[in-house]
Amino acid sequence: MIAMQVASIIAEYVVFLELTDEDELDPDTAVKMMEALAGHLEELDKGFLRELVDAFPVVAEGYSGEAQEVVRNIAHGFYLEEALAADNPERLAELEALRDARD
Amino acid sequence: MIKTSGGKQSSAFSWWLRTGKLPTALSPDGLELKFNPWHDPEDGRFTFAGAGRHYGASGTDAVSSEKRRAPTSSDRAPVLWDRSKSRTSALPKAGTSDAETAAGNGQRPVNRASPKVKPKPVEGSRLGNQPNPVTEFVGGVGEGLYGVGTETVAGVRAALTTNPVTTVRNAGRGIAGMIDAAIAAEDTPARIQASRAASAVANASARDIGRVTGTAAGNVALAAAPGAALSKAAALRRLRMARPRTTYDPPQIGWVTETTKSEKPWKAYNDAATGAQPGRAPTLMRTMADGSKRPVKFDGIQGDYMIDRKWSVVDRLRARAQILRQSQVLAEHRLIGLWEVPTPAQKAKALRLFKKMKVTNIHVKVVKP
Repeated sequence: MIAMQVASIIAEYVVFLELTDEDELDPDTAVKMMEALAGHLEELDKGFLRELVDAFPVVAEGYSGEAQEVVRNIAHGFYLEEALAADNPERLAELEALRDARD
Repeated sequence: MIKTSGGKQSSAFSWWLRTGKLPTALSPDGLELKFNPWHDPEDGRFTFAGAGRHYGASGTDAVSSEKRRAPTSSDRAPVLWDRSKSRTSALPKAGTSDAETAAGNGQRPVNRASPKVKPKPVEGSRLGNQPNPVTEFVGGVGEGLYGVGTETVAGVRAALTTNPVTTVRNAGRGIAGMIDAAIAAEDTPARIQASRAASAVANASARDIGRVTGTAAGNVALAAAPGAALSKAAALRRLRMARPRTTYDPPQIGWVTETTKSEKPWKAYNDAATGAQPGRAPTLMRTMADGSKRPVKFDGIQGDYMIDRKWSVVDRLRARAQILRQSQVLAEHRLIGLWEVPTPAQKAKALRLFKKMKVTNIHVKVVKP
């Protein structure tokens, strides 16, 4: 339950950073803050991070259009699955292959 | 054409450039080769020391005198290797043998040191009135080194500058090699070949160029200074690919106030970039499609590198857009980007992104916090 609430907060923040017009938010500053957010997420407890990763698709249902896609891709864009598999080389290789196939 | 290995040619030529002296040359038979500056002014043939005319590298130009002492065996002109390939040695006067020539000058015939080095007719020599342009070129360039073949200057330059498929380096190297060969086998008088040098150069250059174009990386015109002397041709070997140089204005680095506040490690890491200023970020102005300009922010600057520190690499839409912005603005200003990341894992992410996006003007380096 807490994970869902935290995921919702993060999702709102990421949508702001990703979709705010450049005239209102400097795009380089937005990227800088996303990088900082990624650092924070990677440092989270792995169990809680797992819950967050699973919560983002659910939270995305509350959005529409471009914002929904942004929230759905949070785990992918912030390399959260890779952070969870940091000690598992096989899983990392698998994730890398999936990432390459996706592009 | 006298052939030696490319390394030996370069070495001999370099030795000559540094010392002004010719290195000791050995024939394939191990015989020492020496330079004989004495030539018959009428036909260019070798004479003994003190006979004929002296066409020395030092610029001295002595005429023989019968009053001079008679040549001894030690003064005798040394036999050059492969003299049979030299133009003059292969071009005796009609009906005149070496012995007859020497006898006519009141000298003894040349006593060949070894039967192995006895001159032999060579294909392509001037025997039978078949000029060998390559040999003539070599001789002509060699003459030019002694300040005689000024016509050759125009020949060399014209041959190279008008050929679109050569490079300075390769053509220069080929010419330098020929000069080396000419130096080693300097057995031709200056003025005789000077008039033929220009046309011979054109042939030799075509051949030389044809040999090297297979590996030539680009087609670059030779940039030769007008009026260069043939002696300057030696400097061609040191030239590299000559490209038209454009002078660019120095990059206009701007600084904008950056008010982002944080006590977290990422903020300290970003602020510690080389060239960073507290509370300010270096920027480059990017020209938009409509002509307007927008700043692209970085974290630091070092020489030609614009530094952007990444505490954590992300693969977001805006992050990819930033990569393209940075790459474009760096290209506009002819600078290089440098992402500094704290771990090899982050570096791997960055490199993968650059590869996907085909961005090549941003480098990545691990800089630990």
